[in-house]
Amino acid sequence: MSQKLYEIISRVMNIQISDISDKSGAESIETWDSMNTYILLDEIESEYKIKFSLEEIENIKTVKDFKKYLQNHGVDFND
Amino acid sequence: MYSEKKLSYYITTSKTLECKKFEKKIRIAILSSFTLNGLIETLKVKCAEQQVNCTGFVSGYNQYNQDILNKNSDLYHFSPELSFLILDTRTILGNLFYSTYSLTTSQRKEFVENKVNELLDLARVFVKTSQAKLIISNFVIPTYSPFGIFENKTEFGIREMTESLNMKLANKIMNEPSIYLYDFNGFITRYGEKNTFDYRQYFYGDIKIAFNYIPFLAHDLIGYIKPVLGLNRKCIVIDLDNTLWGGVVGEDGFDGIKIGDDSIGRAYVEFQKRLLALHERGIILAINSKNNFDDAIKVLNEHPNMILREEHFACLKINWNDKVSNMKEIANELNIGLDSMVFFDDDPVNREFIKTNVPQVLTVDLPNDPSDFADVLIMMNDFNVLQITDEDKKRGKMYLQQRKRTELEKSSSNIEEFLKQLNVEVKIKQADEFTIPRISQLTLKTNQFNLTTQRYQEEEIRKFINDPNKIVGCAQVVDKFGDNGITGVFIVNKDNSSEWTLDTFLLSCRVMGRGVEDGMLNHIITKAKNEGVKKLIGRFISTKKNKPAENFLPNFGFNKEGNFWTYSIEKPTKEIPYLTLSVE
Repeated sequence: MSQKLYEIISRVMNIQISDISDKSGAESIETWDSMNTYILLDEIESEYKIKFSLEEIENIKTVKDFKKYLQNHGVDFND
Repeated sequence: MYSEKKLSYYITTSKTLECKKFEKKIRIAILSSFTLNGLIETLKVKCAEQQVNCTGFVSGYNQYNQDILNKNSDLYHFSPELSFLILDTRTILGNLFYSTYSLTTSQRKEFVENKVNELLDLARVFVKTSQAKLIISNFVIPTYSPFGIFENKTEFGIREMTESLNMKLANKIMNEPSIYLYDFNGFITRYGEKNTFDYRQYFYGDIKIAFNYIPFLAHDLIGYIKPVLGLNRKCIVIDLDNTLWGGVVGEDGFDGIKIGDDSIGRAYVEFQKRLLALHERGIILAINSKNNFDDAIKVLNEHPNMILREEHFACLKINWNDKVSNMKEIANELNIGLDSMVFFDDDPVNREFIKTNVPQVLTVDLPNDPSDFADVLIMMNDFNVLQITDEDKKRGKMYLQQRKRTELEKSSSNIEEFLKQLNVEVKIKQADEFTIPRISQLTLKTNQFNLTTQRYQEEEIRKFINDPNKIVGCAQVVDKFGDNGITGVFIVNKDNSSEWTLDTFLLSCRVMGRGVEDGMLNHIITKAKNEGVKKLIGRFISTKKNKPAENFLPNFGFNKEGNFWTYSIEKPTKEIPYLTLSVE
């Protein structure tokens, strides 16, 4: 399941999949600005057909956070 | 259903466009009262798909007022050719969006009146300062009212306020030559308020159009860019079996094809009705189909449920020739470019064949299900024009008449015989408010029979009319098959009391070779003679496309003088048999 997530991040942030890790976020990726974060949220939501709450959105800073909250919404990352 | 790519696709792709250079260019500014991130990137990518370089400017967040009013703003330094001003109802109504009824009815009316005037003033300042075209959005009509169902019994409530704002804005813009309206309310109605507005995006970024709808908005806006750049399409070429009707007439027979009687047949009827509507406003229809001519024509003429009939098509290529040859012949016979044509065919193999061999033609990827055909057609942004003239509306009929003329020409033994039977009548008219749009349109798009290829916007023609040293006239051409409409234009400069110059002299190619051009020139010469002028001066400015006009002046009797052609007014005018000339 993380493959699909990485593909979206790669497309939105315009970076290689190999450059993405759990720690990736605004601090390590230059293109990870606030607008791209919003676009990323939007495209992840429509891919997984879920909706994050405003509080979750506030708390998502890294790929790891995305995984955590996606799991809370029932997405399985056991791979 | 019309679908779109993700916004991130456009944003990422837009970064790769820098190195691409196209011949056509456009400079676009976006002014908005809210965040429209990604819109300019999407427009750039969509322009590149049309082989157009788009350079963009996005006004700062809610800075549109200052940018327009300050003549030294970055907006004007950017010098856009086309600008979009996109405003939202929340911003314009302010607190009234929530507490509409904190004002009395008359105060609300005054509020609307003031807002319309403010906006219009702003728009006028912008077009005057920038010389650019402005597209201003109308306002989305709120669906919620605190009054609930009683809203409908409330005088000038929030809904009526917004409707009134839209109506007044539209009415005032109607007479503004460089300002156009974008039906933003229609956009939201089409895609739905619940889909296009995401409260979370609104709260975290003042985003009032959800990200995944930005590409759909861009698709609409491209509909304004295409006609400005002359990228709009004029002709729809269509296949028959499984495209205009269900089934194959050669196999299923006249009674076996699906049209009208069942759900599948109704989908084709809907598609045909949409095509007919485009035909009625000036889009040319033509057929390119592998079929037995007699089978197909019988359906077109006799099938009780058909909407489109033989008379609606300007050209019928129903044969067993390959579709590429047919396509080229259609372009030739109708005298239009392949790049003005759109092709509809259910068969992917045929589509690929056309795409590969005549890539200028826009080949539509028709979905498998005919229930989507009508939607695919009405979602196309390729048929837009910024002006629809009477000639446009008559065009379909004109092409039918043209087909009959060609048939007469083929059956006539020589050109004399043909002209004799055609009864050409040329009516010379002075330019006035009714003819200005058509005159401007002809100067903008006539390429072949055009001596000087001077392009004039309506505003310029209007100035010329008021100039005592200019004559602006046009020619309406009528013959036994019907009215060709206004198809010739001339603009003469009265340089002094003895010399006049032809600034513009052009003829639409569909009336070429019938003496109309000679009739127009005779009229100018007679007029010059009456005013005591001695010499008429003409020029031929060569372009890639105006070869047909190259020898017109010498053939008429003009003599070469340096770079000019001159005609001594004392000489008699040219004899034109079989042509009636009248002046209105």
